[in-house]
Amino acid sequence: MIKVTQDEIKILSKYIKDVSGVHLDLSKAYLIETRFKNILEETGCTSYADLYTKARSDPSKTIERKMIDAITTNETLFFRDSGPFELLQHKILPDLIDKRASKISNFFPLPIRIWSAACSTGQEVYSISIVLKELLNDLSKYNIKLLGTDISDAAIAQASYGSYNKFEIERGLTRDKLQKYFVANGDSWKVKDEIRILANFKKLNLMQPVNGLGKFDIIFCRNIAIYFTVEDRKALFHKIADILEYDGYLIIGSTESLTGVCPRFEPKRYLRSIFYQLKE
Amino acid sequence: MKNLKILVVDDDPVTRLMLKKTLSKSDCDVDVAHDGVQAVELISRRFYDVVLTDMMMPGGMDGIDVLAATKARYSDTQVILITGYGSVDTAVTAMKKGASDYLQKPVNIDEVLLRLAKVSEIKALQKNAGDLREAMDITEKNAGETIQLLEMAVSGLENKLEDIKDILSQQDGDAYERIDTALRMLA
Ligand SMILES: C[S@@+](CC[C@H](N)C(=O)[O-])C[C@H]1O[C@@H](n2cnc3c(N)ncnc32)[C@H](O)[C@@H]1O
Repeated sequence: MIKVTQDEIKILSKYIKDVSGVHLDLSKAYLIETRFKNILEETGCTSYADLYTKARSDPSKTIERKMIDAITTNETLFFRDSGPFELLQHKILPDLIDKRASKISNFFPLPIRIWSAACSTGQEVYSISIVLKELLNDLSKYNIKLLGTDISDAAIAQASYGSYNKFEIERGLTRDKLQKYFVANGDSWKVKDEIRILANFKKLNLMQPVNGLGKFDIIFCRNIAIYFTVEDRKALFHKIADILEYDGYLIIGSTESLTGVCPRFEPKRYLRSIFYQLKE
Repeated sequence: MKNLKILVVDDDPVTRLMLKKTLSKSDCDVDVAHDGVQAVELISRRFYDVVLTDMMMPGGMDGIDVLAATKARYSDTQVILITGYGSVDTAVTAMKKGASDYLQKPVNIDEVLLRLAKVSEIKALQKNAGDLREAMDITEKNAGETIQLLEMAVSGLENKLEDIKDILSQQDGDAYERIDTALRMLA
């Protein structure tokens, strides 16, 4: 097996950070070896330095994409941590609808704009879809924009397709929800069209500007900033503050904190969960 | 591969006995069935890590039926099929239906042991992955609760500090009174 040298680790982790923001611990050389081994072989590179040179000079960015897919951790599950989805169903959506309904005439469908900022393979987005479906009886009364974005092509492709294998489907879904919202398709399960149709997916690098997406009422940005440096985290949550509606809601991962990261947000507690709103 | 619970299903008494003897010697816990019907009966009563079954058997239930019955009962049980020479197509069908592997007759015992070693390795890895996930869940849950409390506490303190700053920087009124109010707010 080709070994990675200290210099190569430095070059590669800088490169990974530049293209994805993901900050690798320099002591974790094995991570670079285990994750890039296959790409090294596929591309016929003779060393990790060679891989770096090839990736940078590849105009199609195929190697770069493969490296991003390999280095990102796509770990996710349906209704992860459960709290945020209860919060969405029992607090955030009802409050939001009340606020918006008082401002808009009954003739128009009520806009609800939700963004899952690093949606991985889509479980978070479809969990939100299911909550919307269960809470809002008549969806035609609403103009729902539910967007999932991620840097990984492979993750976005799976999310768009909405298909999950037996291990993925077992995690986080009750039997009842599985029966109601998914159809078996050979060895895997596919989300039903009524759930799929609510969502859109798009590739997006959070290190780049995000204001092209428009404003959102609710933003989920969970378990992604943990891979960034503190500086990049600050930049990310400032960008998020810019595109969150002034009375909108932000939800972050259950073990994440915005203390010292973004003073523009204020935490609020409801039941067992925290959400953030912009300070006045 | 110690302590694997194995069910051997074969209508041929010689193969049955040979497998039972050798596998027991490797510290496996072995039951035998002479046809599919008896196998399904045993499977309904007890969990097996591995079911090693012949494909063609008399009595109306073949290896594919045993496979289906096993998977319906315990999806974790690994099923290895023993197929006749040249019946690759059936083997492929079986793999599609969830068999973990297949062996061709005549059965080579070293090959069986090799497959079983693979199964026990997978089981160990699965357990390890499960343990890690469990540990992560617990850690995450605990950390989450602590972080929530800290987050709310810090934010409360920040707000208080802002208020105190406001009071102390007011220009009008008595300075001592302002300090006094500020101190009371801290308490
Ligand atoms: C651990 S998953 C989180 C999934 C989901 N939000 C959850 O909490 O279950 C992190 C995701 O962030 C993505 N990611 C990493 N760097 C990114 C970047 N710079 N921009 C957008 N997504 C990124 C990864 O591809 C991965 O799918």
